[in-house]
Amino acid sequence: MSNEHITEPEVNKNVSPLDDFDNAETVSSAASSAPVSDDSILDFDDDPLSATSVSKKSLVIFFLIDTSGSMKGKKMGELNTVMEELIPEIRRVGEADTDVKIAVLTFSTEVRWMYSNPIPIEDFEWARLRASGVTSMGAAFKELNHRMSRNSFLNSPSLSFAPVIFLMTDGYPSDDYKEGLRELQTNSWYKFGLKAALGIGQEANDNILAEFTGSKDTVVHAYSGGQLAQMIKIIAVTSSQIGSKSMTLSDDTSHELGEEDVFAAKQKLLGQQIQELVSTQTDGDDVPFDTGW
Amino acid sequence: MFNGFNHSVMGASHEKTNLVCQDSSAFKVGDHYAIAVVADGHGSKKHFRSHLGSKFAVEATIEAIDRFYEDREALEANLPTNHKFIIKNIEKQIISNWNMKVEKHLAENPVTDDEKSNFTPEEFEAILPESYYGSTLVAGISGDNYTFGVQIGDGSLVAIFEDGRAVMPMEYNESAPANVTASVCNSNAASLFSSFYAPNKKLIALYGSTDGLYTSFGSEYDFLDYHSIITSQLVNLETFKNIIVNNLSKRSHFGTEDDISLSCIYNEDLLKDRIDLINKRVEENKKAAAQRKAAMLEKKV
Repeated sequence: MSNEHITEPEVNKNVSPLDDFDNAETVSSAASSAPVSDDSILDFDDDPLSATSVSKKSLVIFFLIDTSGSMKGKKMGELNTVMEELIPEIRRVGEADTDVKIAVLTFSTEVRWMYSNPIPIEDFEWARLRASGVTSMGAAFKELNHRMSRNSFLNSPSLSFAPVIFLMTDGYPSDDYKEGLRELQTNSWYKFGLKAALGIGQEANDNILAEFTGSKDTVVHAYSGGQLAQMIKIIAVTSSQIGSKSMTLSDDTSHELGEEDVFAAKQKLLGQQIQELVSTQTDGDDVPFDTGW
Repeated sequence: MFNGFNHSVMGASHEKTNLVCQDSSAFKVGDHYAIAVVADGHGSKKHFRSHLGSKFAVEATIEAIDRFYEDREALEANLPTNHKFIIKNIEKQIISNWNMKVEKHLAENPVTDDEKSNFTPEEFEAILPESYYGSTLVAGISGDNYTFGVQIGDGSLVAIFEDGRAVMPMEYNESAPANVTASVCNSNAASLFSSFYAPNKKLIALYGSTDGLYTSFGSEYDFLDYHSIITSQLVNLETFKNIIVNNLSKRSHFGTEDDISLSCIYNEDLLKDRIDLINKRVEENKKAAAQRKAAMLEKKV
């Protein structure tokens, strides 16, 4: 016996629950059937397949956070508070059409991930951090390079936007950060990722942070608790908004743009928006970290 | 006795850009064998006829495999010892069939001025005619106690053998460079196939899908579990098939908006015999998923 079935595809919005599976080839023009609302496609209480959820395009936001001893006190206290407040704001960024995930890497004498994998933003809970030890930034770069891979943290089958990588530190690295950065710079996710950095207090070295981000435009500084809260929110929200934006792969002349063009456009946009937003911030009556905190 | 189903849905992104569905799919139940096949036309600018290329790839595959099964006894007698050679010849035959279909179509339907209008004359000259039709291809074939598959480019094969576990049986092809998207239109296409051969195993179900399905999942575990759930419902295919169609539409609509094709062949008798085992696997998968999530949410600092 021989039984061959080649079917013509259907336009997904027009699929009706009454469509005949095997006779789909007779549906020569799906566009001719009346469109049904999104809801009728989506809600099946009796659908056993809904046990496996649908993944949208994902964006992982990596936070690299200095938890060395110099962060102890107000800096770490403020950072913990801001990060707790920030999560709901980032959650809103991804609501529409992006699965946002968070990965937090802390570095002091040791480097440590807050969770063993990137966590979907809806499940993410901030674990309050404590500060002690030295600033192993180079080790953090190496660890990030190791995990930022299809074989590790970025192993989801769903398509990914290039990640957002946000570095926060208040001091000078105590290890060979250049060696770690050299390793990280070979990582394609790093190359195409959106990178931003925040220096906290007077001791943070903007040149090192610019080496990490590749541009001074994506480096900002906070000298007080109020500024720290403002800057973290500006960078995290802006970079996740830009990071989760699908930029067209062809320009006005219908030339197809490569990944590098899209990355360059996004990174430039991030620098511009951060600088614009930072310039509108006021110092207020904040007490600087380095004078009395 | 084999049965099967196939379906292709058009992705929302292709609707938005007025592109036709680039996927094609089919299944065939023959005499003591069955074939599931899907193909995904590349859809980018220079592959402007890839919706036809994917259709030709599906047809070329079924025709090539049918030809090898004209003498089924001889084929099955030789497979255990010469499977690499036989599968390689099937791959070559598929590419040869596809090229003939493309040549015939192009001869009967020369490139129109409208199709050329997206390119400068120099750009158009630089495109090889086969590239107009570029497509991936994934095909799985099963006999009474063996299964094999061939693949070029993205896409997935999932098999459920007698033990009821969903597995991805395709072996990595060292000759296919990781940074190159393999296609039936490549000049060295026959050397870019991946393949597998699973002897002395009875198949319960085999699924081929285009990458739009795989990329609609957050983890490979979920992707495999999805196939176990479908298999648990195949005993009631007539009532379940609309749910599959709608679920594929939902995945395309809310996932990565890509076209999705799924083609399945299954052994009706073995499925009925092992349905309790399949249902047990579905329950095990649910528990394992809950355990994985609990472990993921454990804080480390």
